[in-house]
Amino acid sequence: MTSPASSSEVKYLIESSEGNTFDVSGAALRQSNTFNAMFLNIGADGPIPFTDYNEATLKKVFEYCEHSVNEENYSGPKHQDDLSKWDLNFFNEMDQKMFIDVINASNFLDIERLTSYCCERIARMLRGKNTQEMIKVITLPTAEELEAKQKVEEKKAAAAKKVAEKAAETAEKTETLEELPVQQLVQTTRNKLTRKYLSFSNE
Amino acid sequence: MPPLPLLRLPGVVLCEVFKLLSIGEKIKLSFCSKKTSAQINSARLYSQRVIVVLIMTQKVIRVYSDYQPVGFYIAICTEKIDDSNIQHARIEGCSVPVTTTDSEPIKINTFWKDLKEGFLSITRHLLKIFHCKISTGRDCWRHELFEPILTELFNQQQVFEKIFIGLHESVDHNWLNRIFTYSELVEGIEIPYLYSLTPSTFIPTFPPWPRQEITIKPNFSWLTLDTLFTCTCSHIYIANTNLENKDLDEILTYWKAGGLPNLEYLTIGSTKIKFDGDPILGMVPSEWEDETTIQTNDGLKTAVVQICQNYLEMLTLPQP
Repeated sequence: MTSPASSSEVKYLIESSEGNTFDVSGAALRQSNTFNAMFLNIGADGPIPFTDYNEATLKKVFEYCEHSVNEENYSGPKHQDDLSKWDLNFFNEMDQKMFIDVINASNFLDIERLTSYCCERIARMLRGKNTQEMIKVITLPTAEELEAKQKVEEKKAAAAKKVAEKAAETAEKTETLEELPVQQLVQTTRNKLTRKYLSFSNE
Repeated sequence: MPPLPLLRLPGVVLCEVFKLLSIGEKIKLSFCSKKTSAQINSARLYSQRVIVVLIMTQKVIRVYSDYQPVGFYIAICTEKIDDSNIQHARIEGCSVPVTTTDSEPIKINTFWKDLKEGFLSITRHLLKIFHCKISTGRDCWRHELFEPILTELFNQQQVFEKIFIGLHESVDHNWLNRIFTYSELVEGIEIPYLYSLTPSTFIPTFPPWPRQEITIKPNFSWLTLDTLFTCTCSHIYIANTNLENKDLDEILTYWKAGGLPNLEYLTIGSTKIKFDGDPILGMVPSEWEDETTIQTNDGLKTAVVQICQNYLEMLTLPQP
């Protein structure tokens, strides 16, 4: 890491989960409260490891930070209608998976502005919807599905109970066998084998 | 876009998302599943100061706050469901049929076998989300569910924002006695006018007084100065009395001597105030200015008093 005192020209190396590194400006990185708390004062030798997040996610997050470096001071979350064209494009370009990854990374890095915009975007997905529509948006089983699932689980439990009872019965029989005197046990096994042999012969 | 795994998001993010939703949206989301409900409860969304109004007479619960005064309505229905848009919500461990109306104010209709069960289940559900205070509708004291629902909530030591209690002869005296003993759990009590209805012979016992506010609209002979002087409320509004100038003088003198220590606002209505009658604090009312400033004897508190044709109004000023 290079670290000339407090200049926006400073570049930091960021390391992703793949072990790849890439540059981020000091001004962009300082939007992360996590970075400020961990590295700003003490500095870091070598790349800064944010290895819980992949390169694509981190690049996306810092793309946002680089862009917002020159914006006015943050003053709370904006409504979607107030977002700039650039902001809208930034969010619209992402697929669902990337969006979730960006939220998680932004939350970890504690980038207030980006996290707030992400939250606003999620809130918008829920606004104006009834309960059933909300369930569709947020991947939840419906009440009926839960009931059906519960019934299946009850059936499974009943079946498991039966199996357990049978196993107990078998165990009891085994125990009975074990309790037989050795001579008698030998005789029982012999009888069984004889019956098996006879059934083979009949075939 | 595929569904969003909302509940897998970090707790801080979820909490921020919940805060961005309106009261109604939070409630609808909490109805989605046991897990969403638990997640919303653990977000501790208490700062909104949500009030839940139980309106038994209209079979509806209104949920609002200062920030969202229009609020959200939840109807408790017991009639047969006749709607093709039935959905199911998870409320207090039950799968409850619901329908939503989109016109303002947005209302969700919940269907129950029993009205009391519906009111209590929804109330408990809302209490967990918002840690809210409860009020009752103005005329709900007449409803058969008023007593059982309030009894149950009082037994759980639930705090009420405001309740209206009509002192009508049809209301059981034992119940009235009980409700007044719970006054400490209530921030404000209003005893409303009964208009053409016959007033009860019941005499409430104070203290305890409600935590903040007492409003008594009818003229009751039991409301004497001795009773008033025990009042611990900060806001006292008594609409109709037979108090005369000398009584008002006694009230103000009592306050000046350190009585009614919590008082911030007082209104006392009376048709017996005489502008040329007995002096109040040494002056006949006609000599009083529009707003006269008085002080307690120790000089610690100041109040502005106005005496009009049929009422006295007093407002204590904040201490510097």
